[in-house]
Amino acid sequence: MLGVLLKKQLSEVFRGYFYDAKKNKMRSKWAIAAWFVFFFVIMVGMLGGIFTMLSLSLCGSLTMAGMGWLYFLLMGGIAIFLGAFGSVFNTYSGLYLAKDNDLLLSMPIPIRTIMASRLMNVYLMGAMYSATALLPALIVYWVICGATAARVICGILLLLIVTVFVLLLSVLLGWAVAKISLKLKNKSFITVLVSLLFIGAYYFFYFRASDFIRELIRNAEVYGAKIRGAAYGLYLFGRIGEGDWLAAAIFAAVTAILFALVWIVLSRSFLSIATSGGNTEKVRYVEKTARQKSAFGALLGKEFGRFVSSANYMLNCGLGVLLIPASGVLLLVKGREICRVLDEVFAGSRPGVTAVLLCTMLFMLSSMNDMAAPSVSLEGKSLWIPQSLPVEPKTALRAKTAVQLILTAIPMLFAAVCAAAVMRETLAVKLLLVALAVVYAVFSAVFAVFISVRMPLLNWTNEIMPIKQSGAVMIVLFGGWAISAVLTGLYLLVGYKLGAALYLALWTALFAAAALILQRWLDTKGSRSFAEL
Amino acid sequence: MLNIEHLTKTYGEKKAVDDLSLHIRAGEIFGFIGHNGAGKSTTLKSAVGILKYDAGTITIGGKNIRDEPLACKRELAYIPDNPDLYDFMSGIKYLNFIADVFAIPAKERQEKIRRCADLFELTGDLAKPISAYSHGMKQKLAVISAWIHSPKLIVMDEPFVGLDPKASHLLKEMMREHCDRGGAIFFSTHVLEVAEKLCDKVAIIKQGRLVKVGTMEEVKGDDSLEEVFLELEAD
Repeated sequence: MLGVLLKKQLSEVFRGYFYDAKKNKMRSKWAIAAWFVFFFVIMVGMLGGIFTMLSLSLCGSLTMAGMGWLYFLLMGGIAIFLGAFGSVFNTYSGLYLAKDNDLLLSMPIPIRTIMASRLMNVYLMGAMYSATALLPALIVYWVICGATAARVICGILLLLIVTVFVLLLSVLLGWAVAKISLKLKNKSFITVLVSLLFIGAYYFFYFRASDFIRELIRNAEVYGAKIRGAAYGLYLFGRIGEGDWLAAAIFAAVTAILFALVWIVLSRSFLSIATSGGNTEKVRYVEKTARQKSAFGALLGKEFGRFVSSANYMLNCGLGVLLIPASGVLLLVKGREICRVLDEVFAGSRPGVTAVLLCTMLFMLSSMNDMAAPSVSLEGKSLWIPQSLPVEPKTALRAKTAVQLILTAIPMLFAAVCAAAVMRETLAVKLLLVALAVVYAVFSAVFAVFISVRMPLLNWTNEIMPIKQSGAVMIVLFGGWAISAVLTGLYLLVGYKLGAALYLALWTALFAAAALILQRWLDTKGSRSFAEL
Repeated sequence: MLNIEHLTKTYGEKKAVDDLSLHIRAGEIFGFIGHNGAGKSTTLKSAVGILKYDAGTITIGGKNIRDEPLACKRELAYIPDNPDLYDFMSGIKYLNFIADVFAIPAKERQEKIRRCADLFELTGDLAKPISAYSHGMKQKLAVISAWIHSPKLIVMDEPFVGLDPKASHLLKEMMREHCDRGGAIFFSTHVLEVAEKLCDKVAIIKQGRLVKVGTMEEVKGDDSLEEVFLELEAD
């Protein structure tokens, strides 16, 4: 039974890879293979690549100093952090808010089986993120220090222990959020607030991490001795990767006991939380005359309403709303110093690169706003409403574009003006930086709706699927990062020969043209596709 | 009001609707019955412009739904078989959203919402999020939203499912009142007793093909509608 439920859940997650919703038929074998290759390249190539580089820089020096355990402690810690961060925001909804809860509970399926299938989904999500950090670390270690049977088996055990530990952390947090949510009224905003605090802590540690790691490597023996003395458990944890059977057995046993405890806690409350409607706000209806809006205004209000009603949506697709203006403030405070350092480093070989790097930073932050990417999918079963109303499909699509545009272009304008104010460049470059940042925000909003129409995922049982796990969101997010990399890479390679002003002007023209072409497509073919979904 | 001529719609190899022609005039309550998967919902969705069909012509008030979809949609309201509304909105926000799309002036919509919500005893729940509504409450909200812009044609797919007896009775009265004022109603149902009592005309569809159509008397003669339906199904 567990297998059947898992197959159902995984088929929902990967449905977009097998099924072309637009053509209403299964994809060809080649198309399926291409989608999986794409997924593999993103996860293994990009994320795995970053951690392979980090592992290579740490492994040699630490193992030569006889501190392989510290290497595994660091990489294991990063894996736990990444895994927990990657899955924590969808654990609550993944565990308790699936739309097929009632259906499954009404069937002769033991509750523990339903719970196990939900947990397995959370486990796979966390494991996917953890493995991108820990697997390269293990492989690098095996290559550098040799792959003995003990190292390989204990290494695999370490991976299992870390992924199960991530599951335990995520589930406990999900459970706590569920308990709190049942008593809250403004759930979405409070969940967002708590999550933002979590994210703040994450970035605090993230920015400190490189300093911390450098310091640790410089004084590895001192810190190693301190850790062994004060927290022997952490030493033992690191020893697992080195092939210490006893450490592996102890941690496997502890993790199993913790898992059993969490299972007991969870199974006692799962049914009541999963079937609870929560504390619905008792709002008394007071009749008042509503302000009449245009059809576009109504659609825009609807899209905003959907965005602010879901903590998952805001957190996964709208972090840029806060991070972009925050970067502007940061630039005002520390920007001059940053620009001075960049100018000093690149002034001789790559003049003007500071403006391009600031643009790249803004592009990357802008990519964190991709609320338009799942917007067509989120129509889900209520798609009949815009389709049956006297609204042009292009108006409905433009409302989706407008939400992302408003929430991204305005903060981008602010941050870009801050960037222009602090950098030492000509007025033309400053103006072009602002223009490029805003035009890119327009392009990314139109591109997100384009992808949303091309890759709709309408039959979901949990909103996390279109919001976080859909191909549309992945393409828009990682595509944005790829564009950012190309912007800087090309400048460093050849673009500097043109000079910053011409280089930025060319990109501005390119994005403006691309946005116009995509908008034209959305108004014509895209609208027809949307109407026929 | 609604003319469907030689409508054909296929899903892959399967013909869901095969050369179907129906004419619904102003003032008529037109019932559409058939077994599960007979093609009722496909016909209704095609009629309101949600579904693209392969062949045939559909006109509403003389306008072709393919050529002038917006003009047609302004004249109609549609209620699907499952009221999947915007769960993130409150009831009142949803009604205002629909009223905005149909450009209903603020005062007029307020009057209509008050009257309809009071009739369906939904007024007290209008500020609640739709996600907290029961199936029946969502159905009532869908009915109110359909009536809010005074459409000429109302197309409904199984409208009585989920409604309590009082709301069902009220809906039947509203349907009759709507047609008495010159509107038209085209709806599918499995409740043959309701169709028999309520409809001026009825059409029976089987495997996508129209097997009988006419006034209630023409279709059932001296038998009950249930007997006629079961007989046709057995053929």
